Amino acid sequence: MIQFILIVALAFLAISLVKSRNTSKTKAYKKLLLLLFIPCAIIVVLFPDIATRAANILGVGRGADLLLYGVTVVLIFVLFNTYIKDIENQNRTVVLARKIAIIEAREKYKI
Amino acid sequence: MKSNIAFIIPVYNEAQVIGNVVNRVLKKYEYVVCVNDGSTDSSADEIEKTKAYLVNHPINMGQGAALQTGIDFALTNKNIKYFVTYDADGQHQIEDVDNMLSYISKHGDVDIILGSRFLGSAVNIRPLKKIILKLAVKFSNASTGIKLTDTHNGLRVFNRKVAEGLQLKMADFAHASEIIDRIAEKTWAYKELPVTIVYSDYSTGKGQSMINAINIGFDILLRKIIGK
Repeated sequence: MIQFILIVALAFLAISLVKSRNTSKTKAYKKLLLLLFIPCAIIVVLFPDIATRAANILGVGRGADLLLYGVTVVLIFVLFNTYIKDIENQNRTVVLARKIAIIEAREKYKI
Repeated sequence: MKSNIAFIIPVYNEAQVIGNVVNRVLKKYEYVVCVNDGSTDSSADEIEKTKAYLVNHPINMGQGAALQTGIDFALTNKNIKYFVTYDADGQHQIEDVDNMLSYISKHGDVDIILGSRFLGSAVNIRPLKKIILKLAVKFSNASTGIKLTDTHNGLRVFNRKVAEGLQLKMADFAHASEIIDRIAEKTWAYKELPVTIVYSDYSTGKGQSMINAINIGFDILLRKIIGK
């Protein structure tokens, strides 16, 4: 069961990476997920047994293991997201800096 | 003196040699643009001493960005008909450029000429460098469908159509592959001509560390996948 879920999560991750355009839609989904995450986290903190029970249902031994799997998927997602954002930012900086360089040079040589 | 030809020389920390390289070009060609890519040495001062145009990147961004800046700058001069990309470290021969320019002016149907050290000669090339360059050629030929013998040669001659259409996005050393991608995408007519590259102790020490080939390869693949 857990293998299935992890593979689906990773496949989803791969697809969302390929199609990742930072639209307002994806931003909204991220916020919704965050909102959903907070009450879940509070519940699991208050009743740790729930995590273990959920883990058992999914065929994982302990709640802590389930958490580890979840964290791993999220971590990979965040890392790739950051990497893509970094490339985008770099590209923007390059466009900007090249513009500055050309404006300066044209001023200097009066062309 | 041919005034309708622009030399584009990307410069990053080449203070030792850049003055000589530029002056050698200026003996035959009058329009030279040096793009100083945020050098931390006195490259800019050395270029100022010559009659070349100096365009200064405020920060270091990589050879691809420097080439694109130089091309953009030269495009503002409407008289320029042909563009030459030329390395700053003195490994290219000006005679090869003469040869390429006379070829492109005689063959109006050719849009871009790429220099090939494997059709010509690579003097004092290190064996490891040769192996990696040949691997890059195989990889490029298989992935772009453009058959070349040397894919990472800094010496190129192209017309205005190519200069306007290149629009290099990859700021770093991946631009060599990007140029070939663009040739395939825009179906420009290309031609390879033999050139001689002379590796000196200076250029070998300055050149790309071979391990960087892994970075470049990874970047190219990843960007092809995510489309950025």
